[in-house]
Amino acid sequence: MKELKILAVLIVIVGVTYWGIEPLAHSIMHKHIEEAIHKYHLPDYEFSDLGSTPPLDGDPAKGKEAFQMFCASCHGLKADGIPAPMDPKTAAMSFGVVPPDLSNITSYTDKKFLFHFIKDPAKASEFKKIAMPAMGLQDEQIADIIAYLDSKAKKVHGEELFKEACGRCHGAKYQKIYAETPPDALKKYLGKVPPDLSIIMKAKGEHYLVAFINKPQALLPGTSMPRVGLNKEATEDLMKYLDEISDPHKEQRQKVGIIVLAYMLVMIGLTYAWKKKIWKNIH
Amino acid sequence: MAEEKVSRRDFLLYAMGGWAAVGLGGVLYAMYKTWEPLPEVKAAGIVRFDLSKVQPGQLKVVQWRGKPVFVLRRTPDMDKCDNRSIANEYTVVVGICTHLGCIPNWEPDKKIFKCPCHGGEFNACGVNIFGPPPRPLEIPPFKLEGTTIVLGETGPEYEKMMKG
Amino acid sequence: MEKKGGLMGWLDKRLAVDALWKVMMSEYYLPKNINFLWSFGVLTMLVFVILVISGIFVLMYYKPDSHMAFDSVNKTIMMDVAYGWVFRHVHAVGASIMFLVLFIHMGRGIYYGSYKAPREVVWVTGFILFVLMSATAFTGYLLPWGQMSYWAAQTITTLFSKIPFIGPDLVIWIRGNYIVEDATLTRFFALHVTLLPALILVFTAIHLYAVRVVGSNNEDGIPMTKEEKKEKGIPFWPVFMSKEYFVMSVFLLFFFFLVFFNYKFAMDPINFQPADYLQTPPHIYPEWYFLAFYEVLRGFFFSETLGLIGFVLSMFLPLFLPWLDTSPYPYISGKHRPLFKIMWWIFVVDFIALTILGKLPPTGLFAWLGLITSLVYFAFFIALPIISKIEKKKVASGGGQ
Ligand code: HEM
Ligand code: FES
Repeated sequence: MKELKILAVLIVIVGVTYWGIEPLAHSIMHKHIEEAIHKYHLPDYEFSDLGSTPPLDGDPAKGKEAFQMFCASCHGLKADGIPAPMDPKTAAMSFGVVPPDLSNITSYTDKKFLFHFIKDPAKASEFKKIAMPAMGLQDEQIADIIAYLDSKAKKVHGEELFKEACGRCHGAKYQKIYAETPPDALKKYLGKVPPDLSIIMKAKGEHYLVAFINKPQALLPGTSMPRVGLNKEATEDLMKYLDEISDPHKEQRQKVGIIVLAYMLVMIGLTYAWKKKIWKNIH
Repeated sequence: MAEEKVSRRDFLLYAMGGWAAVGLGGVLYAMYKTWEPLPEVKAAGIVRFDLSKVQPGQLKVVQWRGKPVFVLRRTPDMDKCDNRSIANEYTVVVGICTHLGCIPNWEPDKKIFKCPCHGGEFNACGVNIFGPPPRPLEIPPFKLEGTTIVLGETGPEYEKMMKG
Repeated sequence: MEKKGGLMGWLDKRLAVDALWKVMMSEYYLPKNINFLWSFGVLTMLVFVILVISGIFVLMYYKPDSHMAFDSVNKTIMMDVAYGWVFRHVHAVGASIMFLVLFIHMGRGIYYGSYKAPREVVWVTGFILFVLMSATAFTGYLLPWGQMSYWAAQTITTLFSKIPFIGPDLVIWIRGNYIVEDATLTRFFALHVTLLPALILVFTAIHLYAVRVVGSNNEDGIPMTKEEKKEKGIPFWPVFMSKEYFVMSVFLLFFFFLVFFNYKFAMDPINFQPADYLQTPPHIYPEWYFLAFYEVLRGFFFSETLGLIGFVLSMFLPLFLPWLDTSPYPYISGKHRPLFKIMWWIFVVDFIALTILGKLPPTGLFAWLGLITSLVYFAFFIALPIISKIEKKKVASGGGQ
């Protein structure tokens, strides 16, 4: 029993140390993150800091007209046969970043956010240098445009969603996905080349990523990542994708892990029995 | 000393040893697997090539699993190849001499493959006609999809060829 | 001994395997009053073997080049090579657990007075092994070329620049560049995979030989002759080893649990971001096993020089234990030395406190706690000669144990 006592002491010592250097230290180091998350109730899929939104029940037909008048000089909408006005390289040269094709934008962007974004891109994205200017549109015009976009949008998932929502600035090179905008253009536009996201889930974890994407300035003040207003569904879909690509062997690891632990348990049984037998007559 | 002597037939000791051997087997299996070609290498093991891109009389070299594959579109004045002909008019062979592994050259005027190392010669079908090479040039596993040849997968044409 | 035929008999004639087996195993006796803490020496060897084997397999796909290292680890080994991730997890967790095992092994040695005569050489070679193991861990940590790798190497090598006169040139020499760069990576790589493990092997051999010569200590620190041990002790094989196997199995269960289900402590998330020369991550800290020494470095927050001196002393003072502790008590174990025992516990608690503080931001209260715990760390080494003196007096006046 003396040995069990020593073991207990050992477990307490190791346990306290582990608690101190992992949970405790991390909770203290990441305090400002938790505080920000708490302060802004992140993730906030209502984007409540942007104020109220008029009813978004516009007319798609009018929206199409408005789109062609105000948006099509920079954006394409392949879903309705409107091609991008410039090839990506030229677009990146002139705007700093390739403007997105808007075919599916409403399927992954929150519509309220989209309304405020079109009204004042810099304010909604919380990114002053954003390439898109405020167009001075009427609320009704914006609602019409959103209705038009919504009539064409289809749901995208996983890799496709990643490419559409993040892929203009970020790549995932382990999946052979490269940012649509060339790196030097991005560096000029954002001040640095945005990180590759192949294993970002391992580096940051879902808890942080969800909050960060939802409101980048809250967690990393001064960052050149704009708020993009992903809705809840798209955020979750994206998290699942990022987790899969960063940790492709998760399932195998758990399976092999269980087998190895079961194997060790049997080994413990055998070695214990043998030890008992050998030590039977030793006191 | 009163402790128990280990007898050579100590069952528990054997059980422990056996169980340890099982674990060792598992570890060796994982080690064995780490030496297999990586997914990218395996993916590169399958190559598609459009045969119609080759002009009559022309030879194209396709790289497949690191080896050169000769694709020759034969003209009527060349040998007929019966069982070595692909889509009637093509010779598709691994361009590695069956003697000691050099890469033969196509000589268009003589219409033969000539090996620079020891002077072996193969006709337009890839069959050895002179010198030390013991066998015709090898035909890689292939599958036909219209005019496209898929190297690295086997189709009915390949299987038939191997049987005949 | 009955005459043996077959392979064993043949070998015995040529290599005297029977005699060797007797000397090393079946007729090597250990005291009976030792507990499972005496298994930790063999556990370190087990972990070392695990590290070597897993290391060989990650080495087969690792690329020591600052442009390729990160991807070769995080893509090729972790994603593409079949079971590559197992070997990497095992190697990373193994390195971390090595130090847990070593700390317990050393703590045991201190508590039971195993560093005292006649085991000084065992202690000193052990200490050299600790230094070598630390160097191996430090050089190995740079290899994945992640943010944590990079900034750990950058800061620790910068420490050398504080050495008077030669410091600034020395750092550049160590790095082979003005910052940690490709040249640093390739030389660390060479040290990590060849020279350091080879030295560890050599010193392990000397360490083990020294243990065999002087024999194992025991819980009560009673000196025992070989005859006494034979009389009252247990033979290494099969009695001691039967327990050893059991301890190993339990240890491996714990180890593999960490490998498959709780590896983050050994594979820091920040290190999954590639090294960036121009941006230090917001929190950098050493691996957990260096935290205590690192905290001594930061503990003297008002003076860089004191911190540096403290840091070097904190690492190297344990080497001098056999000569700091000159107690004449015949039972060398802390179990029978009340004053020593108190100091040992204070030391252990302090070491844990230092380790935890080492990871916390060194501001406000934590800064002061850091200073106090750093001072307490040294108190142990200062107390040893004093305790020895008190015990000498007691013996002189016919008291003591
Ligand atoms: C790779 C590193 C090491 C290996 C492989 C190793 C291995 C061993 C082994 C197998 C034993 C005999 C079994 C035992 O008593 O636990 C032992 C004993 C011992 N080791 Fe180590 N050791 C290492 C590092 C160290 C270090 C860092 C120290 C202290 C600075 C140390 C100090 C001792 C002492 C004092 C003993 C004798 C213990 C006694 O008899 O009470 N060793 N070592
Ligand atoms: S290798 Fe071609 S003839 Fe010898």
